[in-house]
Amino acid sequence: MEYLLLNTLNGLSWGMLLFLIAVGLTTVFGVMGVLNFAHGSLFMLGAYLCMHAMQYFDSFWFGLLVGPLCVVVIGVLVEKYLLKRVYGRDVSYQLLLTFAVLLVLDDGVRMIWGSGYHVVEPPVILSGIMHIAGQDYPVYRIFLIIVGPVIGGLLWSFFHFTKWGKIIRAASFDNIMAEGVGINVPLIYTSVFALGTWLAALGGALAAPQQSLIPSMGEKIIIESFIVVVIGGMGSFPGAFAGALLLGLLESFGTVFAGRLQMALPFILLAIILLIKPNGLFKKGV
Amino acid sequence: MITNKYHNLLGPALLIILLFFAPLVMPIYWVMILSEILIMGLMALSCNLLLGYTGLLSFGQGAFFGLGAYSAALMLQGGIENLFLILLVGMLLALMAALVVGFFSVQLDEIFFAMITLAFGMMFFSLAHNWIDITGGSDGMPVFNLPSLSLFGTQLTFYAPTSMYYLIFSVVGIGTSLLWFIVHSPFGLILKAMRENKERVSFVGGNVKKLRIAAFAISGAFTGLAGVLFCLFNSMATPDFMHWSFSAKPVIMSIIGGTGVFLGPLFGAAIFFILEQVIIQFTENWMFFLGIVLIPIVLFFPKGVFGTLRDKIFHPTKQETK
Amino acid sequence: MNVENALRIENLGHSYGKFKVIEDISLSIDKGELSALIGPNGAGKTTFYNAISGKFPPTKGKVFLGGENITGLPSHHVVDKGMCRSFQITNIFSELTVAENVFSPLVIQQNKHFKLYGNLFRDKQITEKAMTMLEQVGLADRAEQLVSSLAYGDKRLVEMAVVLVRGPSVVLLDEPTAGMNPKETENMISLIKKLAAIYGTTFFITEHDMKVVFSLAQKIYVLHQGHLLAQGNPQEIRSNEHVQEAYLGRKVNA
Repeated sequence: MEYLLLNTLNGLSWGMLLFLIAVGLTTVFGVMGVLNFAHGSLFMLGAYLCMHAMQYFDSFWFGLLVGPLCVVVIGVLVEKYLLKRVYGRDVSYQLLLTFAVLLVLDDGVRMIWGSGYHVVEPPVILSGIMHIAGQDYPVYRIFLIIVGPVIGGLLWSFFHFTKWGKIIRAASFDNIMAEGVGINVPLIYTSVFALGTWLAALGGALAAPQQSLIPSMGEKIIIESFIVVVIGGMGSFPGAFAGALLLGLLESFGTVFAGRLQMALPFILLAIILLIKPNGLFKKGV
Repeated sequence: MITNKYHNLLGPALLIILLFFAPLVMPIYWVMILSEILIMGLMALSCNLLLGYTGLLSFGQGAFFGLGAYSAALMLQGGIENLFLILLVGMLLALMAALVVGFFSVQLDEIFFAMITLAFGMMFFSLAHNWIDITGGSDGMPVFNLPSLSLFGTQLTFYAPTSMYYLIFSVVGIGTSLLWFIVHSPFGLILKAMRENKERVSFVGGNVKKLRIAAFAISGAFTGLAGVLFCLFNSMATPDFMHWSFSAKPVIMSIIGGTGVFLGPLFGAAIFFILEQVIIQFTENWMFFLGIVLIPIVLFFPKGVFGTLRDKIFHPTKQETK
Repeated sequence: MNVENALRIENLGHSYGKFKVIEDISLSIDKGELSALIGPNGAGKTTFYNAISGKFPPTKGKVFLGGENITGLPSHHVVDKGMCRSFQITNIFSELTVAENVFSPLVIQQNKHFKLYGNLFRDKQITEKAMTMLEQVGLADRAEQLVSSLAYGDKRLVEMAVVLVRGPSVVLLDEPTAGMNPKETENMISLIKKLAAIYGTTFFITEHDMKVVFSLAQKIYVLHQGHLLAQGNPQEIRSNEHVQEAYLGRKVNA
């Protein structure tokens, strides 16, 4: 029974992290129609820059605040000078361009910080252990389970109740129409990409205390994010949430029952969803 | 009048001559690099059958490459030494796997096709990585004996890098020629038609799914052949061949070289490896520079490096149609 | 003597969920009869064509081609059975040559699409048929050109050639003169008449240009808000009050 609870908590905390990263990816896709292969690298950069910022003020919260914002600067540059040029083009070109950006970012990080592991300590108030159902469980993971829906809720409110948010949703449904009524679509695109970047980087910074930092951490997460986005439905906000939780729980319980199949589970799930419901569990909608 | 097109064979003939005499003028190290270029070039050419000719982006070709490699390793470990058998079985296994994967994958289109091929590729990767009893797991399968060939009474062995090079040169040469015939056949025309407009193909009576499965299977077979060669060349088969990051390589090579030209992917492979060799003299972070080089190519050379050069040299007055 | 209709439609309907785009359409076209389907934009003409040509199966009703039930068959089967179509927005192979465009249907018809070797240019069964077709539409001298470099009107001619080269018994033409200048339109009208006479093909066209309709059609069907409002010969249609009210009223034609 305890195992059930612990695995569920693990699945939820991992799922929430996945949600933050996937929701950025799916929103960018929903509004701009671009699938950003380098999204995982932005996640990785968020972790590394958070770690780096922590060297100035020995505070995780400072790193959490500053790190992702620095990554946003990089993201905006990538969008303005590179991505903008391939919007109309074949999806292969977009994948290739963002793959090239992935190479630059991943190896760039290797050049600066080396290929070895780095560790980030969680902040003191979150670094303890709590007792749940007679078992020890890290407080930080509970923090993640709470933080996920909080940010998700803030995002959802942003999209549904603020002016900017509504404009973005309008542009995602019909960008030609949006341009026709005077909305500055290029600015929207840059803003949405910045938002997506921030979410990925935030996810990275939040993930830092609970997993070791390594330059290849982006490559693993990008595939998982793709899977979440496809399961949930490309461009769907609630889909990203549901898909992330589903994948998180699947991976968590997979360690228990799937044995050597474990590595293949996310891909089997992806293939099944693609063949049965290629548009995902939810329809497109921010 | 519809005239019969006589293809310009001067270029390819020159290339064959250059490649044939290369080992006589190059240091052994570069002969080995050239061997790798040829193998990956074959993989890129097969990948381009899908990408440039049929209009399908697959991120799972590594699965068939790996299958070819593992089948060769297994046969060699099992004591089979006949070169032809090893090449053929590798191709056949890859072909059959590609038929199965293709059957499911063609139910989808565009980005979803890319994703499902990635998913299948990674399933094969997991299999190779975890079925330690058979595949040796992440360490891979080493190969200690290479096959030999009896030709005109003499036994040819391939332990020397130069002999291995000529084996690779011959097999890649034959594979490339076969692919050339396929691309210029009636089947090849329909592939190009599908790339242009798959709806119209079905409205002239073509079963697009069946045709795509055929293309996928053929591409898989030749990719498997490249995998067999790679196993012989490296004396090893590892799961890494089946990882999606490896599957991305032939795609990158095709795009660098130019997907619209038959030999484009081969040149892309050459550029890829030469670039790597040049850059690792200075830094071990060559992926960084590959990315830096790739970005302008994708942005400004939509026909690839070779494609753009060829257009500029041979058709300088040709109008850009888009 | 029971002569099967070239094309017979029984109670055809298509809905998206609760929204009925077309409903209860029945018609029968005799072999060689040149018919036209007219109706305002949004009346459902393209949906009708899509539902009978195999783009998607109709939610209700039946389609008979030469007496054979082809309802719901996918497009490549429908073509196999002998019905081809053109599209409102030119739908051919842009980066292939004119010749290659016209070869493709023949390759498939002659079951050579899985042939992995062989030079098409030496295949007389294909090149001769293709050349004949190109001569009929007047593009023989441009066989080697890339379709993307052709003028709009010529592209439409390529589409005609692609649609007809297989020798189908029924041909659906979706706005064949869309976007054409008067000269090109004249050409297209005489081309359709000529091809109908030579090959005995049954043409079924949709058009907005009433001049084209009245100079070609022997029978006219009027579609309005998804229903067949009227059918008859040009005289009957011109004088039909409902039709005038719904559609023709705005177009004044002598």
